[in-house]
Amino acid sequence: MVSTWWRVGRASAANAFADLVVIYTPASWVFGWLVRVLAQVAFYALIGTLLESPAQQRFLLVGGAVTVMVTEVLLVCASTAWERQAGTLPLLVVAPVSMVPVFLGRSVQWIPSALATSSIALFALGPVFGVGWTVGTALLAWAVLVLTCLATYLFGFAVSMLVLGFIELRNLVGAVVTAITTAISGAVVPVDFWPAGVRFVAHLLPATYGLDALHRLSREEITFTILSNAGLLVLVGVGWLGIGASLLAALVGLGRRRGTLEFP
Amino acid sequence: MTESPCIEIEGLTRTFSHRIFLARRPITGTIALDHVNLIVEYGEVHGLLGPNGAGKTTLCKILATILLPTAGTVTVCGSDVVTDPRAVRRRIGIVLGGDRGLYGRLTARQNLRHWGALYGLHGTALRSRIDELTERFGLTTRQHDRVETFSRGMKQRVHLARGLIADPELLLLDEPTDGLDPVAATEFRALVGQLRAEGRTILLTTHNMAEAEQVCDRVSFIDNGTILDADPATLSALVSRYERIDALGVTEPTRARVSTIAGVERVEDLPDGYVRFHATDRPAATAVLRALVDAEVTRIRNSEPSLEEIYLHLMGGQRGMRVD
Amino acid sequence: MRLLLTGAAYQLRLLRRSPGDLIALATTPLLTVVFLAVVEHNGRPDLAVNAVLAPALIALWGMSLLIAGDMIDAERATGTFEVLVATPARLWPLFTGRVLVVTVVSLLGLVESWLVATVVFGVPLRVAHPGLFAVTLLATVLAMSGHAGVMTSLFVLSRSARIFQNSLSFPFYVLGGVLVPVALLPAFLRPVSTVVFLSWSADLLRDSLRPAAPDSPVLRVGMVLGLGAAGAALSWWLLSVVLRRARRTGSIALGG
Ligand SMILES: Nc1ncnc2c1ncn2[C@@H]1O[C@H](COP(=O)(O)OP(=O)(O)OP(=O)(O)O)[C@@H](O)[C@H]1O
Ligand SMILES: [Mg+2]
Repeated sequence: MVSTWWRVGRASAANAFADLVVIYTPASWVFGWLVRVLAQVAFYALIGTLLESPAQQRFLLVGGAVTVMVTEVLLVCASTAWERQAGTLPLLVVAPVSMVPVFLGRSVQWIPSALATSSIALFALGPVFGVGWTVGTALLAWAVLVLTCLATYLFGFAVSMLVLGFIELRNLVGAVVTAITTAISGAVVPVDFWPAGVRFVAHLLPATYGLDALHRLSREEITFTILSNAGLLVLVGVGWLGIGASLLAALVGLGRRRGTLEFP
Repeated sequence: MTESPCIEIEGLTRTFSHRIFLARRPITGTIALDHVNLIVEYGEVHGLLGPNGAGKTTLCKILATILLPTAGTVTVCGSDVVTDPRAVRRRIGIVLGGDRGLYGRLTARQNLRHWGALYGLHGTALRSRIDELTERFGLTTRQHDRVETFSRGMKQRVHLARGLIADPELLLLDEPTDGLDPVAATEFRALVGQLRAEGRTILLTTHNMAEAEQVCDRVSFIDNGTILDADPATLSALVSRYERIDALGVTEPTRARVSTIAGVERVEDLPDGYVRFHATDRPAATAVLRALVDAEVTRIRNSEPSLEEIYLHLMGGQRGMRVD
Repeated sequence: MRLLLTGAAYQLRLLRRSPGDLIALATTPLLTVVFLAVVEHNGRPDLAVNAVLAPALIALWGMSLLIAGDMIDAERATGTFEVLVATPARLWPLFTGRVLVVTVVSLLGLVESWLVATVVFGVPLRVAHPGLFAVTLLATVLAMSGHAGVMTSLFVLSRSARIFQNSLSFPFYVLGGVLVPVALLPAFLRPVSTVVFLSWSADLLRDSLRPAAPDSPVLRVGMVLGLGAAGAALSWWLLSVVLRRARRTGSIALGG
C-alpha cells in the first residue's frame, strides 16, 4: 500500500508542479511573491519597532515568518478546488486506489515555496530585526520549520476536504483559517494571552507547537520542550491526516448517495 | 463465472430528491431510472439510446460505482456495485463525453502516467502500456504536449487511452462523441470498432442513431427512466415490422389500390418523387410489391427503417407529454 | 459622469449577487483581533487607534485592487469584454465607477473593526476631529478609486497580473504606514512612502482620532487628493495605451 500511495502521490505532484510553473516564473516568484512575503514579515516585525521593544520585534518576526508559511501552505484549499473544477473527481472515485494520496500530492508545490520564503524570512530578514542565530539554533529551527510546514500541510489537507464540498468558498476558508492561526497560535502574542477555550483550539493547530519551539530557539533556549513540540507536531499532523481522510470518505459516500459527484 | 453476463441489472430504480436548505425532509423529485432491467453479455457492444434527460448518464454512473442505486441490484463483471465497488472498479474503464476530466496543464503522457498509477501500474509495465496506447491512438507525436493545447478530437483520444490504461474488461462510454466534429466522431467510432474486434465489452450511450447503428451489436432504448426494449429479438422484429417500399411513377389508381391492402399503414410522398408505402409486416410488404409489379411499376426500392424511425415510433407519442 | 454612475450601479448589483467578492471583509475583524491583541498584551492602549484603523485600510486597499483586476477576468470569462471594448463608450469612467462602489462598500471594514474594538476588547474610541475624519475618508475613497484603474490596466495587459495583484498588498501596507507610521521606517524608504497616498491618509486618520490638534490638515488632505488625481491620470493613460495595444495584438479575449 505504501508504495502505491507513494507512486500515486508522485504522479499527482506532477500536476502540482505544472500549476506552479504556470503561476510563477523564477523572476515573478522572487520579485512578486518573495518581496510580498518579506514585506508581510517586516510589517509584523515593525509592530515591535512601534512598541519600542526589541524583544517584541524578534517575537513578531518569528511569528510573521510562520504566518507567511501557513498562508502559503493553506493555498492547498484553492488547489484542491482546482482538482474538482477539472471534473476528475468521479474518475478518481472509479479508480480502485484511495484518493487520499491524490490530494496529498496535488498541492505539494506550496511546500517548497513556503519553506523557501519562510526560511529567507527567518534567517535573512531575522538578523535585520535583531534575531541572532547560531549554527546550532539555526539548524534546529530549520528542522522545526520543516516539521511545522508538513504538519500544517496535513492540517490544510483536512480543511481542504471541507472546501471540496463548497468550492466557491475556497479562498474565503483559506484566508479565514490563516487569520485565525495568526491570531491564536502564538504568532503575535503568547498563547497564554487567550482564554482557555481559545487556547484549546490553538493546541489543535500545528503552528502553535512550531511557534513555541521557534520562539525558544530564537532566544537561544535549547530545551527538552523543543523535542516534545516536535513529537506533538508529528502527532497533530497525523491526526489531521486521519480527519482529512475520513472527511474525504464521507464526502464520496454522500456524493454517491445524492449524486453530487459531478459527471459532466 | 463465464456463464453470467458482464452487466446484469434487475429492477434498478434511482430517484433524485431535492433538498431545500434547512428543510427537514428531502422532497422526492425526479425518477431518473424506473425499474430498469438490462443484460449485457461479455464481448458485446451495447448501445443505450435515448433523448436528453433519459437517464443514460445516471445508469452509467451507477455501473461505474459513482452513484448508488435507490433500489434494485446491479452486478458488473460478477460483483455487486453496492457491496463490492472495489472489485467492480478494478475491472471497468470509463470515458466521458465533454471537455472535462483531463489535466490540461499536463502532457498526454503525464496524464496517462497519473491514471496508470491510480490503477496500480508502474515501472516498465506502465511505460510500455502507455507506449502501446499512444501508438494505437495516434498520439505518439504529440504525447509530450500539454493536453490543453489539444483539439477536442485529440482530447477524446486521450480520454479513451485513459479509460483503457488498466486493460478493463468493460468499457463504459457516456456520449463519447458529444461535441466532436463528424470527422473526429467517425475516427472515434473506428477506434471503438477496433476495441470490439478485441472482444471487449462496451456499453455506449448516445442519442445519435447512426452511431448506434454503426458500432453496436445491440441497442436498448431508454426514455423517462424506462428501458423500452432491451431484447434483440423484439428489436429485430420491430425492424422487420416496419417495412417500407418506395416506388416511382405510381399512377393514382395504383396508389389507391395498393393503399387498401391489409397491413399498409400509411402512404407518403417523398421529396424525390417516390411514393413510400409503410407496411406493418412482411406479408403485407410482399403484397405491396406484387401489386406494384402487376401495375408495371419498375422503379422500386425496398429499405429497412433506420433506428431513427423506430426510435421516433417508440418515443413519438410520448414525448412532450411528460408531467414533471 | 453618466458612465461613472452606470458602472457604479452595475457593480452594486453584482456585489449583491456575489458575496465571494467580500472576502476582504471576512478577515477584517480577525485582523483587528490580531492587532489589538498585540497592543493589549504590551499594555499600550494609546496604540489602539493604529490597531483599529489598519484593518480598515487594508480592507479598503485589498478589496479595491482585487475587484479592479477581477472584473476584467470576469468580463473575459463571460466573453463580454470584447463587446465592451467594441462599444463607443469610454471604459475608464465605467471601470472607475465600478471600483468606486467597491471602495465605498469596503468602508464597512472600518465599522467591523470599530465593533471588534468596542465589543470584544472594550476599547473606547472617540473621534476627536470628526470633520477631518470625514473629509479624509472621502479623499481616501476617491484616491483609491483613481489608483485602482492601474490594476485594471495590468489585467487587460496580461493574465499573469494576478501575481502583481498579490504582491501589491503588504509592501504597500508597510510603505503606506497603515499600522506603523512611516516616520518609523528606515530613511531610505521615506521618499517612496511620500508618494503613496495611503501614508498621508493613515496619518491623517490617526490624528483625527487623537485629541491633539492635527498639524496642517488642509495641506495633507490636499496631498491625498493630489496623489489620487495623479493616480487617476496614470490609470486613465495606462488604460488607453493598454486597450490600444490589445486591439493591435488581438489579445482582447485571451490576454497576453
Ligand atoms: N445529481 C442530480 N440531481 C438531481 N437530478 C438529477 C441528477 N442527475 C440527473 N438528474 C435527473 O435525472 C434525469 C436523468 O438524467 P441523466 O443525466 O441520466 O440523463 P441523460 O440520459 O444522460 O441525458 P443527456 O442526454 O442530457 O446526457 C434527468 O431528469 C436529470 O434532471
Ligand atoms: Mg448524459
